[in-house]
Parts: sequence; C-alpha cells; structure tokens
Amino acid sequence: MSKRRLSVFLALAALFLTSCSPSQSSSGADGVTLTMMGRKSDLEKSYMTAVIDRYEAATGNRLELISYEDAEFEAEAAQRFAMGDVPDIFLHFHNADLAAFDVAGNFRYLDDESWVDDLTDSARSYCTDSDGHLLGLPFWESSVSGCYYNKTLLDSMGLSPATTQTEFDTLCQALADTGYTPICWPGDGCTWMGQFGLDPIFADDPALLQRLNANEITYADIPAVRDMVQWIADAADNGWFGSVPLQTGWDDIGPALSSGDAVMTFIWDTWFSTDFHPDGTYTPDDFALMPIFMNTAAGGTYEGGNLNMMMVNKNSAHLQDALDLLAFCADSENYNTAFDGISTVSCFKGQTTNIQSRMVTDAQSSIAKNERVSTAASRIVGYSADDVASALNDLISGRTDVDGCVALLDRYRMTNAGWLQ
Amino acid sequence: MKRWFKKNFPWLLLSVVSVAAILIGAVYFRFVSQRTFADSAVHLQEIYGQVDRSFTAFITRSWSFLGGCEDYFDLARERDGVVEKYIKNRQQTWGFTDFYLLSRDGAVETLDGVETPMDLGEDWDRLMDEGEQIMAVASLPEGQTAAVFAVPVQHSAFRDFAYDALAISYNNADLARSLNVDAFAGRARCFVIHKDGRVLLSTQTGGNVFKNYLSYLQAASDLDEEALEGIQNDWRNGLSGLLQCDIGGESHCILYLPLGYQDYILLSAVPQNAVSAGYLSIQRTTIIALAVLFLLVGATVLTFIFWRNQRQSRRDRTELRYRERMFDVLSNSVDHIFIMLSADDHAVDYISPNLERLLGIPAKEARQDLRVLEKCSVDYDVVIPKEDLAAIPLNGSRHWECAYRHQLTGEPRWYRMTVYHMMVQDVEKYVIVLSDRTQDQQINRQLQEALDAARSANEAKSNFLSNMSHDIRTPMNAIVGFSTLLEKYADQPDRVREYARKITASSHHLLSLINDVLDMSKIESGKTSLNVDEFSLPELLEELNIILAPQARAKEQSFTFHVQGAPPEQILGDKLRLNQILINLLSNAIKYTPEGGKIEFLVSEIESSASQFAKLRFVVRDNGIGMSEQFQQNVFVPFCREINSVTNSIQGTGLGMAITKNLVDLMGGVIWVESQPGQGSTFTVELTFALPEQQESACWFQQRIGRMLVADDEEDICRDIMELMKDTGVETSYVTDGAAAVQAAVQAHAQGKDFNVILLDWKMPGMDGVEAAGAIRQQIGHDVPILVLTSYDWSDIETEARQAGINAFMPKPFFVSTFRHTLAPLFVESAPPAEAAPPEKDDLLDGRLFLVAEDNELNAEILAEVLDIEGARCDLAVNGRQAVDMFLDAEPGHYDMILMDVQMPVMNGYEATRAIRASGHLQAETIPIVAMTANSFAEDVRNALDAGMDGHLAKPIDIDAMRELIGRLLHERGEAAGKERAL
Repeated sequence: MSKRRLSVFLALAALFLTSCSPSQSSSGADGVTLTMMGRKSDLEKSYMTAVIDRYEAATGNRLELISYEDAEFEAEAAQRFAMGDVPDIFLHFHNADLAAFDVAGNFRYLDDESWVDDLTDSARSYCTDSDGHLLGLPFWESSVSGCYYNKTLLDSMGLSPATTQTEFDTLCQALADTGYTPICWPGDGCTWMGQFGLDPIFADDPALLQRLNANEITYADIPAVRDMVQWIADAADNGWFGSVPLQTGWDDIGPALSSGDAVMTFIWDTWFSTDFHPDGTYTPDDFALMPIFMNTAAGGTYEGGNLNMMMVNKNSAHLQDALDLLAFCADSENYNTAFDGISTVSCFKGQTTNIQSRMVTDAQSSIAKNERVSTAASRIVGYSADDVASALNDLISGRTDVDGCVALLDRYRMTNAGWLQ
Repeated sequence: MKRWFKKNFPWLLLSVVSVAAILIGAVYFRFVSQRTFADSAVHLQEIYGQVDRSFTAFITRSWSFLGGCEDYFDLARERDGVVEKYIKNRQQTWGFTDFYLLSRDGAVETLDGVETPMDLGEDWDRLMDEGEQIMAVASLPEGQTAAVFAVPVQHSAFRDFAYDALAISYNNADLARSLNVDAFAGRARCFVIHKDGRVLLSTQTGGNVFKNYLSYLQAASDLDEEALEGIQNDWRNGLSGLLQCDIGGESHCILYLPLGYQDYILLSAVPQNAVSAGYLSIQRTTIIALAVLFLLVGATVLTFIFWRNQRQSRRDRTELRYRERMFDVLSNSVDHIFIMLSADDHAVDYISPNLERLLGIPAKEARQDLRVLEKCSVDYDVVIPKEDLAAIPLNGSRHWECAYRHQLTGEPRWYRMTVYHMMVQDVEKYVIVLSDRTQDQQINRQLQEALDAARSANEAKSNFLSNMSHDIRTPMNAIVGFSTLLEKYADQPDRVREYARKITASSHHLLSLINDVLDMSKIESGKTSLNVDEFSLPELLEELNIILAPQARAKEQSFTFHVQGAPPEQILGDKLRLNQILINLLSNAIKYTPEGGKIEFLVSEIESSASQFAKLRFVVRDNGIGMSEQFQQNVFVPFCREINSVTNSIQGTGLGMAITKNLVDLMGGVIWVESQPGQGSTFTVELTFALPEQQESACWFQQRIGRMLVADDEEDICRDIMELMKDTGVETSYVTDGAAAVQAAVQAHAQGKDFNVILLDWKMPGMDGVEAAGAIRQQIGHDVPILVLTSYDWSDIETEARQAGINAFMPKPFFVSTFRHTLAPLFVESAPPAEAAPPEKDDLLDGRLFLVAEDNELNAEILAEVLDIEGARCDLAVNGRQAVDMFLDAEPGHYDMILMDVQMPVMNGYEATRAIRASGHLQAETIPIVAMTANSFAEDVRNALDAGMDGHLAKPIDIDAMRELIGRLLHERGEAAGKERAL
C-alpha cells in the first residue's frame, strides 16, 4: 500500500471513528469535552481549525467535531436532533433549513452576551431572527454581494456608476450602445443572481415573507416579483446580458470581466480573490462596487454575507462551557488571529487582520445605506437557487414568458416546500 | 440563347420592372430622407435655440439676482434676520436649493452659518480672479451634486464669515427640467457640457450616468477620430453644429450650441426617428400606401395572369382531354395499335386501348409487360430486341412485318410494325405503330383465291366443253346412229324396238345434261329465287323415299332414313329446292355406291340461335367409291368430275354438286363433304328454316293412346321413335325383333295393360313384321291397332299384311305427324270410305279428248301421234288465243284436258290459262290444264301453277311422265266430280 493510500485510509478511519463517537459532551480529568456539529467542509476551514486549536490549548477543554458531508448534513443532523442527540454547539447558516432544528426549543438566545456589541450591524442583523433574538455567533468569513463594475472602462466611455434604477438602465443601454456586454449574467452554475433581486422585496417587508412562507400568498401575488422578472426579460431583450447569454458559466465570468467584454456582474467581493484570475486587460484594481439594480429597490441593493453561526444547546450539560467557547471566539485577539490574512468582510468591529476588499471599502457608505441581509436564499421556504436559476434561464432563453417564469418560480418553490406534489 | 430569352422573357421583364421599382423607390426615399433630415435639423435647431436662449436667460437672471443680493447685503447686513428673510423669500420665487457665501480660500457657508464643503472645480480660482460670473456643478457631501451659480462680490463679511462671492445652487433635476423639451416623444437627451465634454447637467430623469459626452461619443458612436476632433474643435471655439451619427445601432442627431456663457455648450442627442417622427410618419404612410398600391396592382396583375393562365390551362386541359378522347375514339375505330416505349428501359408509356379488341389482350396487361404480346405472335417475336431498337438512329424508323392471332377468337391479323425513334417532350422515346394489314392480306388472299377459282373455273369450263363435246356427242351419236339403223331395219320390229329404246335412253341422258347445264346457268346468273312456304318435312322425306328407294332397291342397296331428336315437322322454306338438294345428294350416293352398298340418310335438329327458327342437319352417308382429297376440294366446282375408272362408267355432267352447293348457299346454309376413297362419302347440309307460328298440338294422343310398343331390329330407330314420342306423353317401349314384340304384346294383354298401338318394322330378322302381327292377332285379338313401319313399297305385301291383321302402313322415317295422320282413321268409329282404286294404267288415256295448244307443228304432230297411240284424240290450236276460243266454243265436258304450250305467238300459255280460268265457262275452273314447255326449271313449274295450271310437263315430252300426270289429274277430277255430284 502506497503512502498516499495509507494516509487516505487513516483519514477515513479517523473520520469514521469521529462520526461514530457519542455526541454527548463529557468531562475529563483535564477539562471538558464539548461537541460541535457541522458540515465537514465548514469545520475544516482554516479559521475554524485555528480558533478550535487555540481554544483547546487555552482552556484544556476539547472539542469533539461531529461532521457530515455537505450533501448529507441536513438530513443526518435532523435525524440526530430528532433522536435527542443535540450537540453542545451547532454550526448552521441562518436560512430556511434551520427551522428543522427547533431553534426555540434547542438553542439559547444570545442577546445578552458580552460580545454582542462588537458585531457589525450587518453580521448582527444576519444572526437575528424575526423576533429580534440573536441566534448565534457569526464566526465566519463574509462578503458583500453587489454590482461589481469595470470603473476604468466606464471612465473611458465617459460614464458614471448608477445610483438609481433609472441611471442603471441608462448605463446599461449606454454600455450596450458602445458594443460592450453591460452585465455578465452567466447561465449554468451561476445560481445566485435571482436572490439579489428578491432580497429587497422580502427583507424590506418581513410580513410579506411570513405570508409567503405560510403559503398564504405566492410570488404571483407579489407585483414586485413580477417587476423583477419583467426587468430581467427586458434586459435580456435589450441585449444587456450580451448577444448570446447563458452560454457562459461560472468559469467564464472572470475571463469576460478581465477581457473587458463584459463591464459589470452581480457577485461578491471575495470572488475577486478566490476565482478571478486576471489574465486579460483588467485586474481587480480596475473594478469598483455599486448596488445591484433589478427593479426591486430604487437605490439598489447589496446582499450581506451568509454566515455560519455557532449556536449553543440551551439544554446542554455544559451550557456555560459552550457560552464560554463563543466568548473565546468573539475575543478580538482570538478572532484576529484566526482570520489573519483571510479575505473577508469583517463580522466584528474590532476585526483588523482580515483582508478587506478595496471595492467594498470604497463603497462603504453606499453599502451601509443599501445592504440587506441575504433573505431570499436563506429565509424563503422551499427556495432553491438552482430552481430559480433554471426558471430565469428559461425566461432569458425565450422558453417561457414573464408570467410563465413567475409560475415556474412558484411551482418549484412550493414543490420543494412540500406544498405541491 | 434566343430561345432561352424568349422562354424566360416574362420573368426577365418582371425582374427588370422590380429592380427599376426598387431603384426608383430607393432614390425617392433617399431624397425624401435627405429632405426630412434637413427639415428635421431646422426643427431641432429651432427648438434647442429656444432652449438655449431660455437657459441663458435663466442663468443671466440668476447672476443678476446674485448681483442684486450684494447690494441688499450691503444695506441690510447689519439688520438681524432681514437678509435671511429676503433670501428665503427669493428662494421661494426662484426655486433655488440653497444660498451660499463663498470665500476666496474655498470656504463655503450657508446663510444659516453652516459650513459646507463644496468642490467648485478647477476653474473656480481663475474665474474669481477674473471677476467672471461662475456656473459649476459642485460636489456636495454624500455624493450629491448641484448646479451652482456664483458672482464675485466685494470682499465683505456676514456674521463674521468673510466672503468674496455669493452663490445659489439648484438641484440638478430641477435645473434639468428647464432644459427638457416635450418634443421628440421624450426621447431627446439634453446636456450642458463643458468644452472638453464633461457633463454638467443632464435632462436624464432619475439621474445621470454620462460623465463625459465626448468620451461617450468616442466609445458608442460611429464617428471617426476626425469627426470627433472636429466636434471638439467646435466646442473649444464656441461653435454650434449639427451632425448625424450612429449610437448603439440607432441613428442620432447631435446638436450643440454654445450657451453664451464661458465655454459651456448646450448639447442635445435625439434619435433620428424621433426628430423626423412626423416626416417619417408621412414617409411611412407613403411607403405603406405605395406598398399597398404596388401590392394591389401586383395582386391584380398576378390575379389576371393567374386567371389567364388558368383559363389557358383549362383550355389546354380540355383540349388535351378532347385530344385524348379523340385519339381513343380514333384508335378504337381503326385497327392500328399505337405503343410508346421509354428509350431507357423500354417501359411502356402508352398503349392504345384497342389492343384488347384487336388482339384480345387487355391494354393494362400489356402496359405492365409488353412481352404478353408474345402469346399471340404467330410468326414473329413482337418484343423487339434491344439491339434492334438501339440500332434505329434518332429521328429514324424501321419496319417489320408481323402477324398475330386474336387470343380469344383465334382470328389472324397481319400488321406492319413501324418503330420511330424520336424525342417526345425532350425525352427519348420509341413510338411503335402497328398498322393493320389484315384487310390487305385478306383482299390479296381473296384475289388469289378468286384468281385460282377463275383459273380453276376456266379450266373446268374448258374441261366441261371438252367433256360436253364428248357427253353431247355420245348420246347424239347413239341417237343419230340408231335412227339410221332404224330406217335400215324398219321392217324388223324387234330391232326397231331395241333401237328405239336405245334412242330414248340416249335422249333422256341428253335431256338431263341439257337440264343441268341450264339450271346451273340460271343459278349462277342470279336469276334463281326461293319460294318460301310452309311445308311438311315428313312429307318431303316420304316423297324422297318414294323417289329414291326404288333406285336403291334396284341396286340392292341398304337405304335407310333416320330422324334423330325431334325436328319440327312443319317448316317454312322452299320445298322444291330442298327436295332438289337432297335428291342430288341421295341420287349421287346411290349412283356412286356399288350394288349391295349402304346409304344412310339422317335428319336431325341442331341447336338454333332463335326459338322461331329450326336449324336442320341433313347427312347423306354412303360406303361407296369415295373421293380423293384433291377432288374433295373441287367437288362443288362446276363442271368438275373425278376422272377414274369408276366414274368414267357413270354418266354425269359435273354440275350436280355445284348446283347443290349454290342452292345451299342461296338458302343461307352450309354444305361440306368428308370422304375417303374406297370407303364412302358423307355429305352434310345444315339449313335454317323459319318455323310457322303454331305447331299442331299432339295432345289428342293423350286421350286415345297411353302406351305403345315399337319393334325394329335397328335399335337406333327405336330410340329415335322414343325420343320423338317423348313430348307426346305416350309411354313408349321397344323391342328389337318380332318374337319379342309378340311376347311383349301378349304379356301386356295378360296383365290387362294392353298397348294402345303396336308399331312393327316390316323387315326384321327372324319373324318379320307381318308374321309378328299375325301372331299377336292370334293371341290378343284385333283390339289393338298394329302398324307396319317400312321404307319399302308395301303394295306388294299389302293384301297379305291386312289379312295378317295389320291396320295400316307407315313410311320410314318415323314422324309424329305421319304417325298421327295414319292413326287418325283407326280411331274413328265409322270406317273411312274405301279408297277408290286408281284407274288401270292401260285405260287411262283411252278415249280422252285433249285440247292441245302448240305453235310448233312438229311438236304438235309428235304429241298427236303419241296420244293417238294411247287411244286419245286431240284438237290443235296454234296459239293461246285460239286455244281459249276453242275451249269457250266447246260444250262443257267436251275436252278432258288442255295441254298448253307456254311460249306461243298471239297469246302465251300463262295468259291463255288465266283467260280460260276467268272465262266463266262451266269447266273454266275444273278442266285440267297442263303446261308443256321447254322451260323446265322450278320457277317455270311455279309460274305454271301460279297461272292456274294443274301440272307441268317438260319438253321433250316423256310419255310415261305424261301418262302418270294425266292419270293423276283425271283421277283427281273424277274425285272432285264425285264430290260435286254428292253435293
């Protein structure tokens, strides 16, 4: 057996033993062992391992990680919760799937913790439920999704970034007039576009979201949804997504922006450090950030990052130890150490070692005014980014019209929610 | 080329007209567009000239207001709140956003004392130094921009803020409204730009994304560097301009006018179609109208062309149908066959429908595979080998002669096949014409046959003349020779009688020869006609039997009549001619059959096509000398006789069969012969006779006769009788010898089922008919009538037979009608009166007085001598008139008979007879009148009878025939006289 095979075998064996160990925390002679459950890939993030190592070293306690492959996580975790096997700390995004874990019954609200005021408004908002309770500690890398545009190109064409939907439409048309593709709207594999337009609709009107999730209304009952879909259809018709949209994919966004073929796209800042490989004319330095305009917010919108929250089992035997762990993580020295050199938007006000995007910094005032919590993807029951992308692709490619697209969005959503067969 | 041009001329013309129309349209619309643009440009310049003046007035007023404010500040700066109030008041009036105090060092403060950071651009310092009025777009906190108007003032202070200029700001959107125009459907975009292209103000609703319009034009328009440089130069030099360019694929009018302040320029960009909307609307309407007009005209023309083509097409189709129909009719009415083959694969493209009529092969079948014609090919393979077809050059032809036989009828047809190799509608074809030559062939054949016949006839006539010379000379030689000897030996009675007998025989032969020649001559000349009347077939056969049976008996020949089936007994026809035909055949059979031979005469009815006709077949069969096959071909040719040792010894003219054949033809029948030399001949005649409307019913038989017995040693005759009796309802049994007849009669009697009648053949082996009759009478008595059936003269046995108990005699062959007539007297209760015995032959003419009308003295003398020999006397008249007179002058009963020559001077025999019959003399209707004429044909006999005569004697007078006829007539007259007396 080669070394490589041996190492893989040992890793799998260790993983198996870890997964099969009891989730109940225990106290050892040297400290407490806390259980932490989450996605395998999430728990393997460098800042997570860094802070865990630092915690174990500092306290003598031990963290027992219960991880599942991403695809299996929701089902496996829900099953363990159903059996009463709730970990001390549960790592989960604040999204619709969280409802399966009886948040009110299992987790402690953290409104009164000492570190709460150190959270940025965006992060705190993300972690707060509709009743205003803070559900977890956002110890996670974050980003700002918005309309990233090639400022160099715009300047060369005598054009300014838009501040209103009207200006954005004018800008798109002016860019189209120049022969450029105004917006890089990739098709396959780029599933996030729709949620940026939906965010303002439901973030600005929580009651609407509540009625939608209660299956009292549908997208078709919400004019703003149709407005958004109509705008996308018009944009496609006007050629703002290029003459041949949807034939590109995730991998084509970078080249399109780098070459200057496309001027703008709706994406997040960290993408420029992780996936934008400037091999063309333009580099990240040429880009700037303005709000996303999809006809659902007059001044545009930014979407805040989706954050993994550390939630504490309020019924845990080691409740205090778990709360202490969160406090340890929220300590500025610890989080600055963990996020040192990580490209992310800050979740803590005292966060200084992370690498913050210049584009985000330059647009700070606009972001502060127009940022919204990721609402559509996280909070709409039955929301599937893939399904939304599929429906919008059908619209852009002409396979359906506006009303048909809205109907598709509803059907997918309601099917996922179990309201339709 | 010329042909192509002619063929495609309509399309070429259409293409040229279309291209011309398009070019004219293009020129027209280009002209209109240019005019439209020129007019639009003027329109645009007028509108934006007004906007320019309006905006210039606005900023001038703003600066004037600020200038006025300086004075007001000087007056009221010390008065608390007055300046603020005034400015607020003005703000409401003028609509500006804010009022600022500006210091030379760039500090800006509102009237309320709020310090406001404001970027007034790079020209600020220069303008302040130069004391120029200022208009700038200032960047305000939080990214806001505003249009700022400022005027330098004397350095002063207000509320401790030292200022060097006063300014007011306008919200960009508010200010843009003053630049906006309602024209151009809201699609006009208006900017106030700096000479370097920077945009200060925009009419864009909702904000402005255009930062530098020159850069934008450079990126988005189709203006080249030179044009852009020209624009920039205009802007730098404060010049106005109007240009047309393409932005984003849409034509735009770009108009720029200097604002009249510093280097600012009023620029408007309007889509061309918005500028020219009105004109374009007219143009569009014009285009639509022209297009509609063009389409209407085009549609009308196309409709007309289509209609004309349709009409022409209909005509063509109709004509084609007519042609096809005519061709079908033509091909059906002629006997030529037309075939068209594909030159490539020899597939049949067309075949005329008359193929089935002419050759019995359906055209459809031949169309699928022409090789079906091989079936009816007689002497030629109709499927022309490919190499033969390929050898025919294009536009060439080749001929073949061929013959076919109709598949159904077997009728042969001859054709001349001509194959044409040609192009049919640009496709290579073989056209085959089968020209019917059947008629030609038949004519040729008939001509050949006629030629052969003529040759044969000529040869026959030559032979005849040769024969006649011999045949005539032979009896003449005998007559002359024996006449000489008669003179020489007149004193020797035995020799005289012997010579006279030989002279008489030779004379009869010579007379027969002459009769045949004349008869033949008359038939051939077409002067012979048929006398159709109803007659009894049994009677005819009985007469034949009476005439011919003695001849056969003289040669000890078996002469039998058979009637097969049930031929009708009463028929319509010329009995005389039929008699002549059958006598010829039967007498020939007797003549050419050696002694002891056998002659059969069969009569039968064969199937007839119509119920009112009967088709009878007469067969005369003998086992005589027969004929060679070669002679059979000429047996019906006149004057032909087979030359051999046997025939040479038999007298004949060679005309009998020819006369027979001609008579059969005349009666619409057929005759043929089958013969083998030495084995005999069979002549068959088939004739069709009309039937009388009603045949006599035989139902009376059913009332009197239920059962009958037939005895004949020839079983065929028995079966024939049974067949004939089948329809009568009489139960008929038969036996084949006399003893069996006796046994059957006795047995029936013992059972109480006597036969109602017994029919016995006379000549049967063992017990003959007479003997059998005697035996029957002895055993069962005399109640059952017994008849003897015989083909012989029964007079010799009549007495013996009647004594044996035979009630009556019947001639063979058996006919129901004869049977019925024979039986009738037997079932009558009162016995018929005894038949008067004919007068003794020797006393017949003795004492009779004849009136003889004869113009020829020699004939009259001979006749007088003959009558004298017979004991009769005669008075002679030399013509018809004299005869009539002599008759009328005579007392009734004076003359016993009139012998009337026909051809006489003054009055011929026919006229004289009619005169006598019509004279009113007491004997006018009853006195027998007999024609004596050399005209011995049947017509002559008929004419004589028609004239009222009672009989006919041919010259030269045969004494025996005359005696027989006179005897019969006198006998009949005696019966009639008896009846008259009885009445």
